[in-house]
Amino acid sequence: MANDEDYQYSSSDDDFPEQQYYEPLEHRDITNNILDDYEYLNYDTDSLESFNSDVDIVDGMAVSHVTNPNKKRSIEGAMVNLKYECFTTQDIFNNMLEKVDRLQPMFSIPREDIILLLQKYGWDEDRLLEDWTNKMDGLLIEAGIHINNEQKELPKSQRGISNRDFFTCPICCEDQIKETYSLECGHEYCISCYRHYIEDRLNKGNIITCMSCSLALKNTDIDELMNGPSSEKLMHSSIKSFVQKHNENYRWCPFTDCKCIVHIQDTTEFVEYIRLHYSPYVLCNESHRFCFSCSFEMHSPADCEITSSWIKKAKKESDNLNWVLSHTKECPKCSVNIEKNGGCNHMICSSCKYEFCWICNSDWKPHGSSFYQCTMYNNDELKTQTVIEDVSKTLKRYTFFYRMFNEHEVSAKLDWQLGQTVGNKIKSLQEKMGVSWIEGQFLTESLKILNEGRTALKWSFAVVFYSDSSHNLTKIFVDNQALLANSVEDLSALLQIKSPETIMEKKVEFYNKAGYVENRTYALMECGRELISKGIVKITN
Amino acid sequence: MASLPKRIIKETERLVSDPVPGITAEPHDDNLRYFSVTIEGPEGSPYEHGIFDLELFLPDDYPMESPKVRFLTKIYHPNIDRLGRICLDVLKTNWSPALQIRTVLLSIQALLASPNPNDPLANDVAEDWIKNETGAIATAKEWTQKYAQAKE
Repeated sequence: MANDEDYQYSSSDDDFPEQQYYEPLEHRDITNNILDDYEYLNYDTDSLESFNSDVDIVDGMAVSHVTNPNKKRSIEGAMVNLKYECFTTQDIFNNMLEKVDRLQPMFSIPREDIILLLQKYGWDEDRLLEDWTNKMDGLLIEAGIHINNEQKELPKSQRGISNRDFFTCPICCEDQIKETYSLECGHEYCISCYRHYIEDRLNKGNIITCMSCSLALKNTDIDELMNGPSSEKLMHSSIKSFVQKHNENYRWCPFTDCKCIVHIQDTTEFVEYIRLHYSPYVLCNESHRFCFSCSFEMHSPADCEITSSWIKKAKKESDNLNWVLSHTKECPKCSVNIEKNGGCNHMICSSCKYEFCWICNSDWKPHGSSFYQCTMYNNDELKTQTVIEDVSKTLKRYTFFYRMFNEHEVSAKLDWQLGQTVGNKIKSLQEKMGVSWIEGQFLTESLKILNEGRTALKWSFAVVFYSDSSHNLTKIFVDNQALLANSVEDLSALLQIKSPETIMEKKVEFYNKAGYVENRTYALMECGRELISKGIVKITN
Repeated sequence: MASLPKRIIKETERLVSDPVPGITAEPHDDNLRYFSVTIEGPEGSPYEHGIFDLELFLPDDYPMESPKVRFLTKIYHPNIDRLGRICLDVLKTNWSPALQIRTVLLSIQALLASPNPNDPLANDVAEDWIKNETGAIATAKEWTQKYAQAKE
């Protein structure tokens, strides 16, 4: 276990302990260390369970704790002891319903009416209670729950659907309407207009009122009118706007199609952690890990600042790159980038004097008979491009890092596809080798570690891009990067194995490689943090 | 174009047979959802004696969706911007299908009578209105004189 210390990057601030993490692989027996790591990792099965959040009810809120602060080192580089809950809109709505049930005795009005009141107050219970004690009945009229007694122009009617003969709807002006709907206010409209109207309002998340006055439709009324549970949709959009409004403490999971909402009660301690270049990573119930502060995927060793400027740059620069890619072609012979800014398709490379056709990219000689025309494809002249981009040195440098970043992103996607097959592999292990489910989990675990390693590797290129390349620590970082890259590729190759027999034979190797990747990931993250805190990373635009 | 909904036909008929004083609205022959509108400046307002041209369009989803209205005549008003767009609750959030073309136009006329610089659309005008109301009203009158006169 003592060797293990060397893998971690010691975060002590005394003068430059670079040797500590730079050294190990070159001077020591690697296998020994790895076996130690294997012991260290211990592959505890709880770590898996920690993702299946157990829900317990605390103060009426469904709390699903996903954090397990003392567990994985790879999760470090994140904030420790970060307390958060993960919800769906449905969970939040259920919490609200519980709130309603608690409030009910105080208000002694029907549950549906309390929902309306809460909706009016943006689900802010405290403000509602305050106003309730002050206004009481006034509030009920304001929220459109009770009819205003001064409003007596129309004969009061029953709330609900009525059957009529020859009713003319004031909205669509159709006569001979059979089915109508009205609230107690007596404003009566045909049922199809009402439906159309409600359909229109459901997404807006506001209280739906009578078309002519402020009397509100309750959820039960909406469902009755729409012949189905439409009010759910309204509640969802209402909760959505609630989440958007409280974006200090609530975040949507940024992953595509993920409906999770992460809630952090107290964000005050963020400042201190962010100062130390830790990021508040959270894990949603769908196991997507993202940064609560910048809503990006896990981006260590980069911090939020590097991440956002890298992304911004990627957006901006990719325009330039796209321009180069779409307006220039490489000379088929010497690969210099050529921009065609007018003239015919008979190109003579200014660098190697090779003559070729711009359209088909092949030797010009066969084109000789149809002068200046490609026989294969007759293209309109490319519009003259007057802007000649200066593909400067920085762009080249950026392009390099961007490519690396991209490459790992692509690999991560492939790994993810690989992950889809892991389940099957485990199954076949169970069937063919009689391996227990829990024993087969080392595959899932390895894949998880591989993903984390890839992500760290990917973002590390953003860090290097902004780092002072002459600094020693940057060089160390780059070395760490290379070590991680190698180990990640090894593990990835291992996970490609298909035959269950071989997999079981290599089980120990899986443990070793995964443990090694995990250690390298951690070392890279810590080294990155050191790099950032020492101010070696400069963000320039 | 799909046949015109009964509601639009009825409203159009009523606008012609029972016009609102000071307001005209006529549909175009080639597009019955597109109206040419004129509104007289309300008495006692800086827009008095002016005749303002507007255009009004009924979107496909009318009356579920509000009509689109825009001033064509230049006007100096804190709730109407340089492009003639109007900041009026019934055209946006407070629209209800129970409202009609005539009620919307009446609301616009009322807006001319009582500008609301605290909820501005044209910020520069609103600022002028708050800081120097007499000057702003003079400008509004001047613009009315200059731009909002009936064409002979």
